[in-house]
Amino acid sequence: MKEFFLSKDSYLKFVENLSCEFSLYAPVQKGDFLFYDKVNKENIDKLFVDLRRTIHPIKSFFIPPQRRVSEYFISSSEKREEKKKVILGVKNCDLNALKILDNVYFGEEFGREYKDPYYMEARKETILISSDCMDPDENCFCTLVQSKPFPEEGFDLNLSNIEEGFIIQVGSEKGEELIEAFRDLFSSVNKDMSKKREKNREKIFKLLEKINKKFKTSSSYRELVRDSYDSSVWKKYSESCVECGGCNQICPTCRCFLLSDKKRGEKYEKYYLWDSCLLAGFARVAGGANPRPYLFQRFANRLFCKFFFFPENINLDACTGCGRCISVCPGKIDMRKVLRDLAIEKRVTVSLEK
Amino acid sequence: MNNPYQPIKTEILQVIQETPQIKTFVLKPENRFEFRAGQFIQLTIPGIGEGPFTPSSSPYKNEKLEVTIMQVGRITSSLHNMKEGDLVGIRGPYGNRYPLERWKNKEILIVGGGVGLAPLRSLFFSLTHYINDYPRIVFCYGAKTPEDIVYKESILDKWQKEFKNKVSFRITVDQGDEKWKGRVGVVTTALEGINEEIKKITESVSVVCGPPIMMKFTTLKLLDLGYKPENIYLSMEKNMSCGIGKCGHCQLGKYLVCRDGPVFTYEKLRDIPQIWD
Repeated sequence: MKEFFLSKDSYLKFVENLSCEFSLYAPVQKGDFLFYDKVNKENIDKLFVDLRRTIHPIKSFFIPPQRRVSEYFISSSEKREEKKKVILGVKNCDLNALKILDNVYFGEEFGREYKDPYYMEARKETILISSDCMDPDENCFCTLVQSKPFPEEGFDLNLSNIEEGFIIQVGSEKGEELIEAFRDLFSSVNKDMSKKREKNREKIFKLLEKINKKFKTSSSYRELVRDSYDSSVWKKYSESCVECGGCNQICPTCRCFLLSDKKRGEKYEKYYLWDSCLLAGFARVAGGANPRPYLFQRFANRLFCKFFFFPENINLDACTGCGRCISVCPGKIDMRKVLRDLAIEKRVTVSLEK
Repeated sequence: MNNPYQPIKTEILQVIQETPQIKTFVLKPENRFEFRAGQFIQLTIPGIGEGPFTPSSSPYKNEKLEVTIMQVGRITSSLHNMKEGDLVGIRGPYGNRYPLERWKNKEILIVGGGVGLAPLRSLFFSLTHYINDYPRIVFCYGAKTPEDIVYKESILDKWQKEFKNKVSFRITVDQGDEKWKGRVGVVTTALEGINEEIKKITESVSVVCGPPIMMKFTTLKLLDLGYKPENIYLSMEKNMSCGIGKCGHCQLGKYLVCRDGPVFTYEKLRDIPQIWD
């Protein structure tokens, strides 16, 4: 993989250039959290590109909460030309989530010949500049799902912060083109710089191991979830679930939606709306039959989807360890604890540290 | 690029009242529309919503399409208020079909319950199109009362005459009335003595569609009679929304019903908890 050095000054020029040529989105701080915001003159010097993941996943750039997907009987040809987007500061947990979404929306295993033209267009028109995670919070657990706090694939460019600037890795043709366009800003990487990056990465990896020490199980989550349908753990933890669906909305891989129709003027429109499998009506059919009438069944099913359904279909866990579901939960449900208790019930070794 | 969310403009040509709650809608799509027995379509009621339904007409007749629909919820109620000349939208066809090529030279047992006969009617047209491929077809159907029988004229009279030596009919109602001379009892009772008609039960194929409780007890009965799990074909009812494997509503264990079904063999489903709910 090609890599270059980007000094601090050049980095600022690079970001400024990106904000002129593209619709540039980057993490900014609001209250205690990082949010993606469009970069403009006011906030360009207040970006937190390399800190940690934002509070929201990046899925809404590709599958917004609501989108018109068709109009029927009469169709107008209004088409908005949008500037190409650049998303800056994407973390590995969110890049990994795109693998799941890519599979669902245009992969062979999901719906075969049916591809989602809106998702594909958005993916094509978006450049992803990721960065190493430098400051995970107490809910981050990517290392528990065999992932890492820095990306190795799936990005167009990746930034690694080393004191004097950034090492920038090229991950795709789109990334290569960007480098070529601003060639003057980049210089070569020396061994010292690479060493610093490795040291940083190791430090953050160890920090995550420490944060998650008490949750570590000797079996993978896949093995734990398989055949655990009758476990008492689901009932126990779902007791404090208030069925808000927040975990679904905030999850970078949850992508379930509902199609809905409405009349607008003389024409009709079909909309795509995010949906939540935790809600009672999610799987209910006309006439009232419901395959998952009890909350604990829906609660279990969500984790079955992540660690059984997706692995069986595409050999990937649909959980990237971003920990947002833990942060968002008003019932204070921590899925690391759920899975740890599942391990205890199955008599699988867990860490003894309190 | 092709937009899979775009419905095809479709005119309602005719509305046939089958029972007090069930109507058959004869539809004419604007574009050519082909399907195979077992597949489903997404039917849009303009501005109201969309739901999955299985065509009940012959796949060999392309110019028109029929769907038989019971009034149970919001969308079906709106549809029941529609009349000839009104417009709906359709997308599809989606999902798999009955694997007829694998059923050649096998005895076929069809078991339908209530409005669940819709896809089986389409199947019946397909089977009888090449009727000499199948040594025997037994057609079992159960409805609540004689009034609730769908396609009355066909199954009580026309088909019985037309396929006299090829197909035997076992029609039952849960509760008869003074005019009813036929069988009384749930559909599983009509399966008693099936081994007198079907010579090789272990080789025979059974195809079941109906309400979940009927599918459950029919499957158990078929296993009891000696049917192999891989020869019991079930049409699973789920709330497919997109129909194209994306929206997640029809997830059933590791399967998506719109992608891997709606036709499943019992063998594929038997280890999944709560398949009948």
